[in-house]
Amino acid sequence: MIPTISKPNGRKIQLMATCLCDAFFDNVAKATVEVLEYAGCDVEFPENQTCCGQPAFNCGDWAASRQVMRHTAKVFQGDKPVIVPSGSCAAMLFHGAPLEFEKESDLGTINDLGARTWEIADYLVNGLGIQKWPGRFQARIAFHRACHTRGTPSGAAALQLLESIEGIEIIPFGEEEQCCGFGGTFSVSFPHVSSSMGCLKLEHITSVEPDFVVSGDMSCLMHLGGLAERGGKPLKTLHFVQILQAALQNHA
Amino acid sequence: MNTSRETIFKSIHDALSPIKERAARPSVPRGVADAKWLPDEADSIALFKKQATASGTLCFTDLESLAKWLESENTRLLYIPAEFKPLVEYFSSRTNVTTDYKRDLVDEIDVCITPAAAGIAESGTIVITDESTPDRLAALAPWYHIALLDRADIHRTIGDAIASMPEDPNIVWVTGPSKTADVEGILIQGVHGPGAQACLII
Amino acid sequence: MPEQKVDSYARRLDRPVQQAVHDNSAAGTEKRYGSLGKDFADADSLRRLAGAIRQHSIENLDIYLEQAEASLTRNGAHVHYAVTADDACRAVSDILKKAGAKKIVKSKSMISEEIYLNDHLATQGIESVETDLGEYIIQIDGDHPSHIVKPIIHKNRRDIARSFEREGLGDYNDDPQTITSRARSFMRGKYLGADAGITGANFVVADTGRLVLVTNEGNSRFCLAAPKIHIALVGIEKVIPSDSELTVLLNLLGRSATGQQLTVYTEFINGPARKDRPSGPEEMHVIFVDNQRSEILASNCREILRCIRCGACLNVCPIYRQASGHAYRSVYPGPIGAVLSPLLAGKNFKELADLPKASSLCGACNEVCPVDIPIPDLLLRLRNKAHEEHLPSPGTPPMAGFGILASSPSIWKIAMKTGGLSSLVPLEKLPLPYLSPWLKTRTLPGWRGGQFRSWMKSRNQK
Repeated sequence: MIPTISKPNGRKIQLMATCLCDAFFDNVAKATVEVLEYAGCDVEFPENQTCCGQPAFNCGDWAASRQVMRHTAKVFQGDKPVIVPSGSCAAMLFHGAPLEFEKESDLGTINDLGARTWEIADYLVNGLGIQKWPGRFQARIAFHRACHTRGTPSGAAALQLLESIEGIEIIPFGEEEQCCGFGGTFSVSFPHVSSSMGCLKLEHITSVEPDFVVSGDMSCLMHLGGLAERGGKPLKTLHFVQILQAALQNHA
Repeated sequence: MNTSRETIFKSIHDALSPIKERAARPSVPRGVADAKWLPDEADSIALFKKQATASGTLCFTDLESLAKWLESENTRLLYIPAEFKPLVEYFSSRTNVTTDYKRDLVDEIDVCITPAAAGIAESGTIVITDESTPDRLAALAPWYHIALLDRADIHRTIGDAIASMPEDPNIVWVTGPSKTADVEGILIQGVHGPGAQACLII
Repeated sequence: MPEQKVDSYARRLDRPVQQAVHDNSAAGTEKRYGSLGKDFADADSLRRLAGAIRQHSIENLDIYLEQAEASLTRNGAHVHYAVTADDACRAVSDILKKAGAKKIVKSKSMISEEIYLNDHLATQGIESVETDLGEYIIQIDGDHPSHIVKPIIHKNRRDIARSFEREGLGDYNDDPQTITSRARSFMRGKYLGADAGITGANFVVADTGRLVLVTNEGNSRFCLAAPKIHIALVGIEKVIPSDSELTVLLNLLGRSATGQQLTVYTEFINGPARKDRPSGPEEMHVIFVDNQRSEILASNCREILRCIRCGACLNVCPIYRQASGHAYRSVYPGPIGAVLSPLLAGKNFKELADLPKASSLCGACNEVCPVDIPIPDLLLRLRNKAHEEHLPSPGTPPMAGFGILASSPSIWKIAMKTGGLSSLVPLEKLPLPYLSPWLKTRTLPGWRGGQFRSWMKSRNQK
């Protein structure tokens, strides 16, 4: 049981769990809820949520993607902050969606949704002002900053929280800023390049012998983890909110 | 039938007319692209020497050292423009000198001394113009080129040098000897231009 | 399943070549980062300023091009215009034929590659020699450059030594110093025997009419010293308003391309040489080439015209590093090429419509671009364009079904629950063509659809 330090402070938010967590990573979605509640949030999970529409957007089928986004905008209507445990889904909401709606009459609705969407690390540090995270977690961590968080505060925010936890050592590794190779459907339409990029990153990561590979995006971890496992050298991967959750458990 | 010019300008016009508000011309504050480590107004000559040397240009401040260096390089034929009488005299006693740059002697004349029009301290750059150079080839073709640079003509920054560019058909900024890294990324000095670039600061 | 061309090329690429391309590119990225970090407190705001400068320039191209023409004419240059690649080639050969020019020397110009100038000149009986060392090697090999700044990043010294021997430049010798000095002596003869020199231009400053050329070898200086005629081929988008903008762009170009504060030679050409001079062109021609640029200006990808051809995006691109330049089947490779090449193809867009897909949209290219081009957004627009034109895309799952599924929550929730059936049948046996490329090299995590939803529901009921 995670203790709550503060009572719900009137911070009502809506959680977008992401389709990947919906399908594969319920643990990450659960950890997200517990972390947000610890931080004093009242978490609403609109059950009719599905996906941000990014897969269709990236494939160029903007009509299909808009169809999904319109549904998502309806599901998340209101004025609560929308919190997402994924840099790439968050970026879809505040950058990709406005792009595909630029000629549409409901662009305004989409912009409004984007304006109140936060990736979770950014929300914790810059939205709620949490500068340090309590508890402890003993581990050497290789942190992979997902590409969709380029140019946003999310990477730095996640690192700030992780580095503040007792027992955590963030280990730098070679070519950190290079993409892991997932890229959504890119991973299946350009399988050779995608896997080669992933294997190159794994080489850099495994050479520093981390206990965990951590990121704010399960898509990257699914790709790197899947490659490592198929390659016979499985890696332990965690979304950083799982570490925040574990640190709290150790704190209790 | 439209000329090419008319066709192109019409295409451009048609392309731009739907733009309701064209991107404004941003203001470019003076010095916005100056290197952050530039000392305020300090010794431009010292900075020039430091930067020029770092880029591979040899800097001399007296004739004796320049002459010694040329001697050690076993150069064959030195070109100096005739109007620099004292220089011509000084070097004539030491080596073969010609005051006549001829195109068919391009491979015989392996050293040339020609005036620089200016210098840039921020980058250690020698500025050469048509006005200051009797023959473009004289500053370009020899293996050794020595630019005569008056210390009063050294600009502090790249921005300053651009702002004071003269009306000249051919201004060349020279920052070090010619080089290439085309072969396996390996740096080789002396491709088509001088393999040894020097500067005599007077 | 048919392969995407870039993926197939990458798969078949020789490992040593791929390694060389990767290492060279990574080194370029390091140098850029080092030089910008050392020299600027906030390189990113300078890039954004440069981006705004270039965007303003292209959105006011009608004004600046006209102004550039007037300035150049005032300076004594002849200004020509060419709508298509063929027009541009003919404009060049017309000038040369009128002057009786038979031998020309060329310095590096990407636009001259776009228009296949050398091939055209050959049909006109005019000898055209590339003088940049890398471009010369490409020329004698009948090859194509694989990088816009470092054209032979894919060749090693042994390749070059063999080519030089074949070309009669001496016995086999793969020492880089020897290769370079042989090129130096050989090229001198070409410069001094040439009737005309052809260059490109990195920038054209509209108010002064100056052409700016940025090089390291000294070959363009020679092209402008020895022959009597100068022809500059310039894309219409190269014009910039004035010297103050030039200062910002020049300070970013060398650092972004090779980590150099300035390249060895920066030339400012303000007209033909004065009449009484022993060297320098008596006649100067500037040919402004459109070749689809005004079409691109009209499109929703016009930002690509900001490009100042530094190559930083190539160096940092993980796909470029895996596939190398030739995988892009066009003059411009890498991220810039993935946007520009299909657009330059005009009506033949479909031939290169796969290039915008050869990207994981990581955004590193935009981060290093000295003029802040939003390349990933442009790639996405081009993917949308390809979709609307119903162009086939191997390996890309169709999304219409996904659109319906993900906008119908009841069906979605059922799919989440029943997806678990996949744990009863090995995934490889399921008829899911888009899954097999994944499964060849990666495992998939176990299906957990519906688990989080029921956890949340039972929690809320407490």
